[in-house]
Amino acid sequence: MSEPLRIQPNLEFVQELQAIGGQDLKKCYQCATCSVVCPLSPMDRSFPRKEMVWAQWGLKDRLVNDIDMWLCHKCGQCSEQCPRGAKPGELMSALRNMAYRNLMGPKFIGEWMSSIKHLPKLIAIPAIIYLLVWFVTGSLQGTPFPLEHGKIEFGLIFPGDYTIDPVFVLVFFFAVYTFIRGIGKLYQGFDTQPKTFVLGYHPPENIWVSLYQVLKEEVVTHKKWKDCGEEEPEDTKFKGHLVLFYSFIALAVVTGIVAFTHWGGKVLPFLHMPYPMALWNPVKILANIGAIGLFVGLIYLTKRRVAPSEKDESSYYDWYLIVLIWVVAVTGMLSQIFRIAEVAGLAYSVYYLHLVSVFMLIAYTPWSKLGHLVYRIAALTYARRHGRLSTEIETDKNKVYVI
Amino acid sequence: MSQSILVIGGGFGGITAALEAAEVGHEVYLVEKNPYLGGRVMQLNKYFPKLCPPSCGLEIQFQRIKRNPKITCLTLAEVMSVSGQPGNYEVAVRIKPRCTDQSSVDLSKLAAELSRDIPNAFEFELSTRKALYMDVPFAFPQRYTLDRDNLDESDRRKLTKHEAIDLDAKEKTITLNCGSIIVATGWKPYDVANLTNLGAGRLANCITNMQMERLAAPSGPTAGSITRPSDNRPPRKVAFVQCAGSRDENHLPYCSYICCMASLKQAQYVREQYPESEVTIFYIDLRTPGRYENFSKKILADEKVKAVKGKVAAVQEDLASQGIWVTAEDAVAGNKLVECFDLVVLATGMQPSLSGLPLPMDVGMDENGFLTGGEERGIFSVGCAKEPLDVMKSAQSGTSAAMQAIQTVRGR
Repeated sequence: MSEPLRIQPNLEFVQELQAIGGQDLKKCYQCATCSVVCPLSPMDRSFPRKEMVWAQWGLKDRLVNDIDMWLCHKCGQCSEQCPRGAKPGELMSALRNMAYRNLMGPKFIGEWMSSIKHLPKLIAIPAIIYLLVWFVTGSLQGTPFPLEHGKIEFGLIFPGDYTIDPVFVLVFFFAVYTFIRGIGKLYQGFDTQPKTFVLGYHPPENIWVSLYQVLKEEVVTHKKWKDCGEEEPEDTKFKGHLVLFYSFIALAVVTGIVAFTHWGGKVLPFLHMPYPMALWNPVKILANIGAIGLFVGLIYLTKRRVAPSEKDESSYYDWYLIVLIWVVAVTGMLSQIFRIAEVAGLAYSVYYLHLVSVFMLIAYTPWSKLGHLVYRIAALTYARRHGRLSTEIETDKNKVYVI
Repeated sequence: MSQSILVIGGGFGGITAALEAAEVGHEVYLVEKNPYLGGRVMQLNKYFPKLCPPSCGLEIQFQRIKRNPKITCLTLAEVMSVSGQPGNYEVAVRIKPRCTDQSSVDLSKLAAELSRDIPNAFEFELSTRKALYMDVPFAFPQRYTLDRDNLDESDRRKLTKHEAIDLDAKEKTITLNCGSIIVATGWKPYDVANLTNLGAGRLANCITNMQMERLAAPSGPTAGSITRPSDNRPPRKVAFVQCAGSRDENHLPYCSYICCMASLKQAQYVREQYPESEVTIFYIDLRTPGRYENFSKKILADEKVKAVKGKVAAVQEDLASQGIWVTAEDAVAGNKLVECFDLVVLATGMQPSLSGLPLPMDVGMDENGFLTGGEERGIFSVGCAKEPLDVMKSAQSGTSAAMQAIQTVRGR
């Protein structure tokens, strides 16, 4: 280095990091054990040692634009083997939490999503919307728990075409729009950081090929999770996440089919499917398999989170998401059961809760831990395109030289 | 009131304390658990500050002990219990039988005839010994020791006939009366079996720094030539792994003080013996306190000695060459290194010998096994029983403890 570099520590940022999970980062004495024991850390500019020193120095620009936080899958090896208890793994997840909070506006959502004290406000938004709907439709029906030919029909209180689909479509596209801008901002940040010049590696020709490779080789197989270790408790985590992931996909497919046949049915009548679906309908079967999968995955993941672990602590972001998915799954299952059992009062109430929780899951996704679904895939895609390879990736040319 | 002083531990610190007290006229009991005096220094090839062999220093001390009628030296002896108060302690000492004659008769021929080869603890299992042994160089006392648990029937037959052997000797417990106690129980190398990511002692060419001392020592298993345990070939590339178990919450949380110096010293052994060799020292911080800094500068000025900031966190044996693949991150460059070395030396730290053992006397012990307090009860700890130290500072603390013990038994 020919010119001395004057670093400008951002102390406020350090304190912020310490507050959201990096409380032990000052204990680090830079022995670099973490970078070595990490099964995913690349050979060059390895993580998480460098993040630890950046965090100690308060180099905010480096940290918020650091792609490596998304390469980490938090197996906890680094925290476990850290000789100082500095918990590098917690810092990496604190950085991700910070990204959920600060990457995208509106600022107040990020703020509200970061702490349990703001949770009532987040619940209140959908709760009030659907309470109003319930009040209006209930008055029109003359009862809050109406029946049609003796059967419970959720559409009587929450008519899909007018109160559910428009709201959820709006909310969905709001989240999608936020994500697209978020990816742009993420990539802009990555672009400011130094790159590695990699010889012998042929990066995917464009970002879409890169995305395809990430989906095919990493997301579908959860390969990185396997690299993180196949022994307990990593195995529980891997299985839980895999099952949960595919259950979500199953449920997304179901939602897609229902929306398509419903709205498509209005134009092309032969697409129309009667609702509620019969239990033997393949789509209904898929929905119920998805729901059961959701429970299985949740049980795995919750079991691991509840077990006290030094190397992998759970933050509010972790709990928010896991509890919310529990609520979605439980209320979804119960509203079906109560509907079939014809317990009107409970069925409508639980269905109401289901709507509220699903609204929260979708609308606040970019600011929740679920945002990793998009941000992580985006980062991995970028990483592949720029040759930021984890140690494990083998290229078709076998040898990769890193300069 | 007793004017006698008990010194527990016959290593450098204990010997120093015993001599200082005896040479001003106090009766001293020196109790050593092992068959021979000299402790850890005896196992070193060279020691700081002047890089002398252990004979320089220890041999003189042995002479002083031999000539001083005030010192009663009890080897193979352990303190079992202590009762009483300062100025009047009753100490029960259990003495294991040596089973050989008082005279310093040469039993080497007889020893060679015995059947079993037993892993030699003094050589850190780099070689074996017989059940009848005198495995330390310039042993004091100059007497063979018989390890009766490792004899078979034919051995017993051979030994019973010999007049210098007493197969039926009994263990005995004696009671000593003393006014003050000096605890100089020293240290043991941290157990590498705990270092699972560094081979846990199972890789032939991944040795500890104390094993390296034995390999380099002229009295050691290779007569001083530093060779790989797997094939006895000279190593070309040698790595030192600092803080192997020290400064680590999962192992020893403290700095063992001397391992950086030990590795620099051993780098010199390697470089002197093999001018073509290359040495890499992987460290977190190179701690070379005080004047040792000069030594560090001298060793690191050698362009074939490289120091890399980054702790080694993974080792793997090369199946073909039995070399050791070492992974570390060079924290200055920010890149991971994966490099194969012919020989890897783990700079394991010091653990107090008493760590995890019940204490026979009323003295404090911190969570790492170091002794604390005791002064008010006339009990003084020395050297590595109290904190990790080098030989020089241990000897100094021995002198200081002797002074305090004298003050206790005589009053000021």
